[in-house]
Amino acid sequence: MAAGAALAVSGASRAFGGVYAVRDVSLTLAPGELRGLIGPNGAGKSTLFALIGGQLRADTGTVRLDGTRIDRLPADRRARLGVGVVFQAARVFPGMTVLENVMVGAHGTTGAGFVAAVLRLPAHHREERLIRDRARACLARTGLAGWADRPAEALPLGQQRALQLARALCGQPRLLLLDEPASGLRAAERERLSALLTELRAEGITMLLVEHDVAFVMRVADRVTVLDLGRVIAEGSPADVRADPVVIDAYLGAGSPA
Amino acid sequence: MRTRTVLAAAAVTLALPLLLPERHLPVYVLLLLAATVTAGVSLLMGYAGQVSLGQAAFYAIGAYAAGLSAVHGVPTLIGLLVAPVVAALAAVVVGAPLLRLRGHHLAFATLAVHLILLSLLGQGTWAGGAIGLQGIPPLSLAGTPLRDDVGYAYVAWAVLAVVLLISHNVVDSRAGRGLRAAAGSEIAAAAGGVPVGGYRLVVFALSAAFAGLAGGVYAFYLGYLGPGSFPLLLSIEVVVMAVVGGLGTITGPVVGAAVITLLVQALNELGTRPGMPSYAPAALSYAVYALLLIAVVRYLPRGIVPAVAVLRKGTS
Ligand SMILES: Nc1ncnc2c1ncn2[C@@H]1O[C@H](COP(=O)(O)OP(=O)(O)OP(=O)(O)O)[C@@H](O)[C@H]1O
Ligand SMILES: [Mg+2]
Repeated sequence: MAAGAALAVSGASRAFGGVYAVRDVSLTLAPGELRGLIGPNGAGKSTLFALIGGQLRADTGTVRLDGTRIDRLPADRRARLGVGVVFQAARVFPGMTVLENVMVGAHGTTGAGFVAAVLRLPAHHREERLIRDRARACLARTGLAGWADRPAEALPLGQQRALQLARALCGQPRLLLLDEPASGLRAAERERLSALLTELRAEGITMLLVEHDVAFVMRVADRVTVLDLGRVIAEGSPADVRADPVVIDAYLGAGSPA
Repeated sequence: MRTRTVLAAAAVTLALPLLLPERHLPVYVLLLLAATVTAGVSLLMGYAGQVSLGQAAFYAIGAYAAGLSAVHGVPTLIGLLVAPVVAALAAVVVGAPLLRLRGHHLAFATLAVHLILLSLLGQGTWAGGAIGLQGIPPLSLAGTPLRDDVGYAYVAWAVLAVVLLISHNVVDSRAGRGLRAAAGSEIAAAAGGVPVGGYRLVVFALSAAFAGLAGGVYAFYLGYLGPGSFPLLLSIEVVVMAVVGGLGTITGPVVGAAVITLLVQALNELGTRPGMPSYAPAALSYAVYALLLIAVVRYLPRGIVPAVAVLRKGTS
């Protein structure tokens, strides 16, 4: 369905030990759309991300990226097709510098292999330069330029999140999955992040954003999907979702922050 | 600074075969061959996070590949090049079913390979059976057969240099970054597009190729191969050398192989002095071997080379 969709999840389910974490979820994102995904703790947001990113396989259902089925592909193949991920837990590569961490993000969109590396072929040098330049640009965009040569594990948690975003951007993704990128950030850093997301949207990157800060989501997202107990309970414009009684009941509560 | 250290080390090790007394040359050759095998183990353990408990099996496979082809009339230099290829192919056959290469599967699989290989070699008439493969011609370079130890010392040196260069180039590359990343977080590396399982298989094959190449030199050097030349202990020894020298470093394998080989050698000389019981050499070497491993794991858990690097950083 939905011809021309950038991302189409259809009837996706995933259970752990008989308990559904994601149940019959369908979701369609238009190209360049920034979709917010909200819901209470344990609603299944990160699990749904894992089904799209390939960290987990769906029990049933399909995932299509620009019309191509990707749900049976391993995560690295999905990355090569343009899926970028910012994990909820800061997953950085210890023992490598910040710059090297970001350079790994370019892996899926570059190709020099072992032979080129061992023989130091021109392809190796050319690509190393390209990757390094691209990684530096991504560090600058995420405000990490001054940290390039530090060991990644020495960064404060907020910067480790920014590092994950820089790494994902270095892969020049078509679809970017952001799992709570603003958590642990200070107000000014949050502002910078929301400006960056707006910029990325203008560049045509399709994004799916999970965030507990509902006001933040409502501000940047084109549309919002609400998940509860693994199911989609509402979907629409930020204003519609905020006013939806089902959502208020299940998630936002009476004293909603919105 | 680093280049100067490398050049100095190269100059000293190149001069050694000419300065050492003849009777020490076999130790020099075997030390360099051990370092070559250890370089592969270190790459595998340090960058792919995998342990091989049967690395000497690939050493043996390389040795027999070179020995058998030479005995059947293949030019010896070709035989030497066939050795790493056959060893790498064997590694792919063993490793491909374990493509994810997680946990200790590879350690057990390689241990099994070593045991199976020993029994095959002991029974197969094609390999000379229990008597061994005899009459392997010396390595011939540019039509000149190498007959003395000095020649093999330089061949072993060149082989080790090539292997270290390959290690260095692999580690410092797009693929090497992918491997190092996967050692830190397999999930995040895969999400960045790193085909983790495939890369680990390549590194495993590469480590086997290093061992196979060293085995090829060994075959021509000794001119004789038997199942007894490749005891299980040899596989354990290279793992110890890798750990003692320091995983995840390029020079660690050389330092580890040197420290262990020289210590065992010194104790051997001590143990064979008049008045010592006949079991003294073996008992002494194993004792020191165990003590050294315990000491390194206890006091230098990352190995000698990283510890020295930290010291030098502290003083400069
Ligand atoms: N690997 C797993 N094994 C077992 N249960 C899991 C696993 N991953 C998630 N779950 C369960 O699935 C449900 C959904 O979890 P998920 O992490 O997707 O929620 P979430 O919406 O991301 O929550 P949060 O907002 O706290 O991050 C939870 O009940 C969780 O306990
Ligand atoms: Mg979550």
